[in-house]
Amino acid sequence: MSRWVLLRVWLRLFLLQASWNFERLQSLGALYVLAPALRILYREEDLAEAYRRHLEYFNTHPFMASPVLGAAIALEEERCRGAEGALGVEEFKGMIMAPYAAMGDGFFWGGLRPLAAAVALFFAAKGSLWAPLVFLTLFNVPHLWIRTFGLWRGYTLGLKVVETLHRHRLPDLAIRLKEGTLVLLGGLCAYLTYRALQGEGESSIWGLSVIPLVALLGWLARRGVSTLMLTMTLAALVLAFLQFG
Amino acid sequence: MSWTDYLIGALIAVVAGLDRTAVFQFMVSRPIVAAPLTGWLLGDAAAGLQVGALVELLWLGRLPVGAAIPPDDTQVAVGATVLTIFFAGLTPFSALPAPLICTLVAMPLGKAGQFFDRAARHWNGRLLHRAQQALAAGNLGEVERSHLRGIGHFALAAFVTYLVIVGGGFLLLPLLAPYFGSPVAEASTWLKLAFPLVGTAVILGTINVSRSLTLFGASFGSALLLLWLV
Repeated sequence: MSRWVLLRVWLRLFLLQASWNFERLQSLGALYVLAPALRILYREEDLAEAYRRHLEYFNTHPFMASPVLGAAIALEEERCRGAEGALGVEEFKGMIMAPYAAMGDGFFWGGLRPLAAAVALFFAAKGSLWAPLVFLTLFNVPHLWIRTFGLWRGYTLGLKVVETLHRHRLPDLAIRLKEGTLVLLGGLCAYLTYRALQGEGESSIWGLSVIPLVALLGWLARRGVSTLMLTMTLAALVLAFLQFG
Repeated sequence: MSWTDYLIGALIAVVAGLDRTAVFQFMVSRPIVAAPLTGWLLGDAAAGLQVGALVELLWLGRLPVGAAIPPDDTQVAVGATVLTIFFAGLTPFSALPAPLICTLVAMPLGKAGQFFDRAARHWNGRLLHRAQQALAAGNLGEVERSHLRGIGHFALAAFVTYLVIVGGGFLLLPLLAPYFGSPVAEASTWLKLAFPLVGTAVILGTINVSRSLTLFGASFGSALLLLWLV
């Protein structure tokens, strides 16, 4: 597969979820991403058959789709050469998409995004317009790395990409990022609370009451109370307390 | 604000709305990015930064996983920034903390975003059927075009959500400001603190880390004591 074709596949990865739907989720998107490679490998009825193959149900984390679809191209090449192994491309995609989705969700959505937000909010708290750039940089360096090298690794290693990605231990890394986020959020909330108390001429020691308040709100959130409800109720309580308290 | 400004707001709403899930996902859609960007293009980046900082943590713990559709914090951030810049320039509102009031009004209106996002995904289901029919007919080019048409559905959903928030804001703010304007202004310090605290609490409640409250509490306590001592 030429680099030009892989470049086209890479660019199409950014449009993977354009037709996301409840019936087959990313299936049409996965076919759209693979189409330039499939058109090189197959002609006429074989090409239509390959399209049919990849129009089946598919769903994984949008960034982790890179190694999965890269390996799918390698497997299609094998099939085209008649050297298909024990695991076909449909079985491979079906087997790998759920664990990779869980890994990507935990790392990118659950770990990296909150961490980048917490760091950026420190800049925002100081009124610095670097905040958005800090967020975009922290998030997009790993994001673009996995999109780019994930595709390349998937294509060059085929099925072995699974072992390579496991070596990076993303779930463990996600836990560390989450723990780091909690520490940063603790520092951020303390800074904002301290500043608010100082602004109102209150003693800073009152700030310690924020911990049980956050614990209570967190418990309510875990019990299913919506964020909108929590924010509006807290805002109403603050207004009522200041008006009638 | 001129019509050009509203169009700029709408353009950012669509671009950032697409970035949420449909294309790219560089996270330009996050409130801490989308709101300052909107503010910057409309001539008041600081107002956008304030709105972005208020909204960023609120729904960060809601993951866009599988068929789950989180509340549209992108359009809340963009819409609240447009409203802030519009109302901050008007005399009766100039003394009020516009980012706070506009965000509080935009948040419930933003619920509409989930409805439109879900509708876009249902419309995309038709694109899948269209692609299947094209494939059966041997029209492979149409299969790929069907996929790209989904961008239009998501763009429309983002645009309509923006219209609901900004339009609703224009109707509600002049009605609510005379009653709530002064109390919100008096409570602005505590209200500004309430947003990140709720966001942090929701993250704590959903982050799925053992000893999460211990980590948060230890960090909060030590940082507060350090600030107090220094």
